[in-house]
Amino acid sequence: MSYIAGVDIGNSTTEVCIGESTQGGTIHFLTSASCPTTGTKGTVANTHAIKAALKQAMGRIGRDVDDISLIRLNEAAPVIGDTAMETLTETIITDSSMIGHNPSTPAGAGQAVGEILLIENLSRGVPGTPYIVAAPSSYSYEEVAAILNQAEGTLDIAGVILQADEAVLVENRLHRKLPIIDEVARIDKLPDRVLAAIEVALPGQTVRMLSNPYGIATLLQLNAEETRTVTPIAKSLIGKRSAVVLKTPGGNVRENVLPAGEIYLDAEHSASVNLDEGAEKIMQAVSDAGSIRDISGQPNTNVGNMLSRIKQGMGELDNTPDADIHITDVLAVDTLAPVLISGALAGETCLEKAVGIAAMVKTRQLPMREIAEKLKLELGTDVKVAGVEAVMASLGALTTPGTQLPLAILDMGGGSTDAAVISEEGQVTMTHQAGAGELVSMLIETELGLGDRHMAEQIKKYPLAKVESLFHMRMENGQMTFMEDSIDPRFYGRVILLAEDGFIRMEKDIPMEKIVQVRRDAKRKVFVTNAFRALKKVAPGHDLRNISNVVLVGGSAEDFEIPEMLMEEFAGYRIVCGRGNIRGAEGPRNAVATGLVLSYAGEQK
Amino acid sequence: MIIKKPSIFIYVNNPDTSSLRNVCAGIEEEGVFYEIKEMETISLDELAWNAANDSMLGSGIGMTGNGIAMQMRGISKGRNIESYQNPDPMQSRKLGANSARAVKKLAFK
Repeated sequence: MSYIAGVDIGNSTTEVCIGESTQGGTIHFLTSASCPTTGTKGTVANTHAIKAALKQAMGRIGRDVDDISLIRLNEAAPVIGDTAMETLTETIITDSSMIGHNPSTPAGAGQAVGEILLIENLSRGVPGTPYIVAAPSSYSYEEVAAILNQAEGTLDIAGVILQADEAVLVENRLHRKLPIIDEVARIDKLPDRVLAAIEVALPGQTVRMLSNPYGIATLLQLNAEETRTVTPIAKSLIGKRSAVVLKTPGGNVRENVLPAGEIYLDAEHSASVNLDEGAEKIMQAVSDAGSIRDISGQPNTNVGNMLSRIKQGMGELDNTPDADIHITDVLAVDTLAPVLISGALAGETCLEKAVGIAAMVKTRQLPMREIAEKLKLELGTDVKVAGVEAVMASLGALTTPGTQLPLAILDMGGGSTDAAVISEEGQVTMTHQAGAGELVSMLIETELGLGDRHMAEQIKKYPLAKVESLFHMRMENGQMTFMEDSIDPRFYGRVILLAEDGFIRMEKDIPMEKIVQVRRDAKRKVFVTNAFRALKKVAPGHDLRNISNVVLVGGSAEDFEIPEMLMEEFAGYRIVCGRGNIRGAEGPRNAVATGLVLSYAGEQK
Repeated sequence: MIIKKPSIFIYVNNPDTSSLRNVCAGIEEEGVFYEIKEMETISLDELAWNAANDSMLGSGIGMTGNGIAMQMRGISKGRNIESYQNPDPMQSRKLGANSARAVKKLAFK
């Protein structure tokens, strides 16, 4: 009787499975565990995670790692996924020509036109000229109101811009009601004596005049040529509750299209496609190209640098002279990223066009033997590199109750989406596709403007709820949950994530519906696209209808909505598709590790 | 029929006047009404808790001396949502705004 360990090193997680081999050659499964992969998949740095996972698994059955008599590593597919994001447009404000934001409490409503006049220069105002008064936060709301009320008889004041969050306080103290915009952080940048138009939307509405080029032209009396130049301003003010547009001679908002570069496909039917043309064109080119030998980017462009960086990373892994490193697949996804406008006065952002790219790098072989040697040295246990990843995954997937040959598996991991089909004769066809869980996280991160990958990962993983009172919350599916004890006030009024061990607070104020939509779109764009791409490649005759069963395995199959999305999509092809349940107990994880232990039993016979 | 404006109650006992002004400004900026009442008790927890329970909106503030505390109906006495001793002007303003945001079901600042 001996303990056999199967170890699967993935892009994001390392999984182990421990089985007991009995005299009769049968395997009795005991325990499993998983740890985040240390270092890039296929490098000796992986041993830390392997040891940690083995220790964790053996700890669960009260044993030491020393008790293991054989460790079997997978011959990891020599492919590594990597992701990058490129913004295609950028918006630049020169000479502070606009402000548009959503302060929580602006005051008054309507629009006004006038010359900008700083409050300390009010005495220099001329009767008869309409003014927009700008007050920094060094003036209290009482002072601002008093000064404005005093000037009421002499000067024509049309509107107010405040630095502090005091619009309602000022308005309540004014004799005559005016539109007031507050929370303009860089009020010091407002040019004195320049014609400006301000607008505060009615409650529940957004600005109408200043988000319309002709509206701006009407208020600021622009000619046709000038109206053309304010169009990007109007566009970036859509959806705002308050806005200011200044008529500065040199002032402008430009929308730049960044030179993103071309992607070259070296394939059966070689082609090149410009990144500007968007994801759909790129994917069309990739699928038309047939079998791809290598993908590269135009030198000294964003995409060129990005692709060569990915290749370089792979080159460090396999530094044998005949390394033969190629990018064999890319998945491009269109996205919109809220980017801080350079030159903004109140932290305005603009939605810029961007393309997210996942690339699949292939080399001849990963240095798995080195990992095995190192592990052997450190643990004093026999370590073997055994079996091809996809075959092992299929073996493991077959332990799911209700499966039979022929079987297709879809392994949705962090870095790649792999598919394999095993025929009744045991023949395996497989493919690796770029783009999986990590690309989803990146899309969520950019589209919500989080600037925090960890938070994006959490959003990907957990359903949302909105805390509506200290005693109840509304789930994203509309269901209400009431609590016995009051919810921590830190969560009050916020959108939260329902993690296993409590709530996680969303720091940014983004509506729940928006987060749900971005999350679901990101998953659909990556996994539904890739599932079809991958299965089509491995299906007999490249026809999905020749597949009857699909078992979903890998970390992303654990997701709470991806399997359902795929099930819906495949329903039309009469395919039985579902989340795997390895050994009837493990869920979709641990397929490869289980396969490695099972294959040991096969070799003994 | 007695018609009363739904308001946040501020129960005070000899409060610091400048921080009271800031608390009121915080509520006003959020556009909610408030009422100030002099009370006998000097317990900050009690002032805040009573104010929250007496307010039709379920949101109240207690102030005595240099202490301020914000409460909401349904929370047990002493478990104040937010409280300060010797608050600076911004803290008072924020506490006032939060008592109003509690009514508006918006996240606290």
